[in-house]
Amino acid sequence: MNDARKTRRRLAVAALTILAVVSLFVVRLVDIQVVRAADLNTESLSKRSVAQTTYGARGNIVDTNGKVLADSVDRFDITASPLLVNAFDRTAEDGKSKTTVSVTDAIAELSTATGAPVADITASLTKDPESNFAYVAKSVTLEQLTAVRKLGIPWTYDVLHPSRTYPNGTVAGNLVGFIGTDGPQNGLEVTEDKCVGSTNGSATYERGADGIRIPGSTVTTKEAKDGGTLKLTIDNDFQWYAQQVLAERTVELGAEWGTIVVVRVSDGHLMAVADYPSVDPNNVDGVPVTALGSRAFSSPFEPGSTMKSITVASLLDAGAITPTTQVTAPGRRDLGDGQSIKDAWSHADIPYTATGVLVNSSNTGISLLADKLADKETRRDYMLKFGLNSKTAVDFQGESSGSVPQTQNWDPVTNYAVQFGQGMTTTSVQMASAYQTLGNGGVHMPVTLVEGCQWADGTVTEVPTNQGTRAVSEAAADQTVAMMENVVTQGGLTAELTIPGYRVAAKTGTAEVADGNGYGSDRIISIAGLVPAEAPEYAIVVSFAKPVTMKTSSAVSTTFKKITTQVIKSFRIAPSDEPSPKIPVTW
Amino acid sequence: MSSNLAFATPLRSPREDTRSTPHIEIVSSREQRKARPRVVYAVVTVAGLFALFLAQLLLSIVVSDGAYRIAGLQTEQRDLGRQQQALSEQLDLLSSPQNLAAQAESLGMVLSNTSPVFLRLADGAIVGSASAAGEGQAVIGATGSLVPNALLGDIPLVEQAAIAGGTAPGTADTAVGGSFVDPVAGAPDAGATPGSVTSNPMALPSPVTR
Repeated sequence: MNDARKTRRRLAVAALTILAVVSLFVVRLVDIQVVRAADLNTESLSKRSVAQTTYGARGNIVDTNGKVLADSVDRFDITASPLLVNAFDRTAEDGKSKTTVSVTDAIAELSTATGAPVADITASLTKDPESNFAYVAKSVTLEQLTAVRKLGIPWTYDVLHPSRTYPNGTVAGNLVGFIGTDGPQNGLEVTEDKCVGSTNGSATYERGADGIRIPGSTVTTKEAKDGGTLKLTIDNDFQWYAQQVLAERTVELGAEWGTIVVVRVSDGHLMAVADYPSVDPNNVDGVPVTALGSRAFSSPFEPGSTMKSITVASLLDAGAITPTTQVTAPGRRDLGDGQSIKDAWSHADIPYTATGVLVNSSNTGISLLADKLADKETRRDYMLKFGLNSKTAVDFQGESSGSVPQTQNWDPVTNYAVQFGQGMTTTSVQMASAYQTLGNGGVHMPVTLVEGCQWADGTVTEVPTNQGTRAVSEAAADQTVAMMENVVTQGGLTAELTIPGYRVAAKTGTAEVADGNGYGSDRIISIAGLVPAEAPEYAIVVSFAKPVTMKTSSAVSTTFKKITTQVIKSFRIAPSDEPSPKIPVTW
Repeated sequence: MSSNLAFATPLRSPREDTRSTPHIEIVSSREQRKARPRVVYAVVTVAGLFALFLAQLLLSIVVSDGAYRIAGLQTEQRDLGRQQQALSEQLDLLSSPQNLAAQAESLGMVLSNTSPVFLRLADGAIVGSASAAGEGQAVIGATGSLVPNALLGDIPLVEQAAIAGGTAPGTADTAVGGSFVDPVAGAPDAGATPGSVTSNPMALPSPVTR
């Protein structure tokens, strides 16, 4: 009987212990779920999962050597919570003494750290004292951010703000374009956005009360995608030199605008496309709207006598002439009905060879040569084969296709005028491309600005095609280049255009500009050429529109010589071994 | 077994009672011994449970600690990455052609664009007609830089005087390339500049690579 009592007692003790423990738990549960529910709920709001934007980096735009033209960088916005703005205590570095920092002091410190004016910061913070968000400074650099963080002001925060910077400034600025607040605004930034553009991703994670991420809680809902690197054919340093030289001369001549285009003959890659006026993408507001974009692509003009080389090549290819074909060029040629064409200088009849016509740039002479290929369609087709009347393969933003009128619209003057570059329009790039064709043995290569778009995984897209089309025979092209060499060696600008040790082929052009009432007194002067003439590697076209101080193409010669010399130095062209062949200019 | 009958137990002297009551035990049989539950199993089970709880506790401590370390390292990585980016940004800016040209001009370098001349490293031959660069052929010129770079701001220009005491850069040290290589004015015959390397005037200083 003792045992039974003992057993019962033990059982009772065990049951009581269990009951005690269970009731402890119940009390705790009730406490959490019922009594403190509201408080804990509000506390948990801050512990909920945090949504985070993972930024994809916009791709860089680089030149042919990899130098960065457009760079994606981190900038930071300093924000504040006006609701919490108040004086605070700052512990000194020794850890003991505390100083009270007033709001005005804090604002002054922020101003020195970020460079934003005190008045602006104060206005932004006091505009809506109940709001939880206001900007203190936008787009500050890492240095400034570190300075702000050091201040330790409890009511300021920082937000990452990916940004775009252009370390080379105006160099290739017209080509690269720029980014505005809403995204890419201009140039390659816009047209190549599918290459360099990035997409942001999103991820969520949970974090503890002290802000540390709870391990294993990160869930990526969308992957961020970085943009690819856009590689251009432009050479950065050479482009700078071209822009500098162009700008100097355009200002000297008082011209409205100027362009320099340098194309590699073998593959049609653009080494430099210089415009003046041009834009610094870091400071777009500093220039008028007309300076944005690239006039080399978008401004068509009547090219003038630089077109004669193309005419000569076409006639040579058709077998209509040879370099020594003889004509007698009058000072003025009557076409009947009161229409006539005349040369730039008045003269009596001169017995020119075809080379002489080119060297002396005789309009009447070229018209006589063109008579030997009477069919208008054939002559127009040659122009199209050289790439005129259609956009280049670059398809740059706002590019113009120029215009060669249909043959049914050719009046007797236009019939000849198109052969010496009036009555039809081209852009500077089209002209450079035509000269590239002449230098490349008559094979027209597609003009290329983009070398490719390289992605992070190594794949390269947008690789340009290497397919050329034949415009004229190799013999015709080579003969034309030889004739153009004589422009340099026997023409009126021999001293200005000769580079010792090198053979250069060139053609000048002084084009009249239509002013709505026939042609006015303005001119567009240019020189187009190839170097080295024995085996051309680069085609160079320099143009100035409506110069004021000097209106003849001789004004272009100094710039042409400078840029050609630079081509030789930059791209290491060896001097020529043999002298230029001399073709007779008169008979 | 107890009973209600009262007994009179004869008094005996304790000394005489040497016979003790026999100690009787119930001996458990083997089956009974086997049927009894063993303590060791219970101890093992409970100990195992405790060990599991303990292990889980330790693991979660370590994992949480790892989370703090990860957070710290990620912040460090991010900050270092930002620093590197800021520095390479600065580098790109300093290597922009506007800056290089301005610095070159400030050093007194001139640009000779009258005739390009090359120095062929293979045999030291001068290719082209060499002539001394003129004094006034400035890199940028009187008009100043017309290709502005808004980011350049106030980068200080190197003073020519500051490097006057150092060695004149050997022409063969830098590769012939880039836009602004000075034409070599009849290379080895130019007057001995302080600190120049060759003792044999016809020998070229060999390119130094780093």
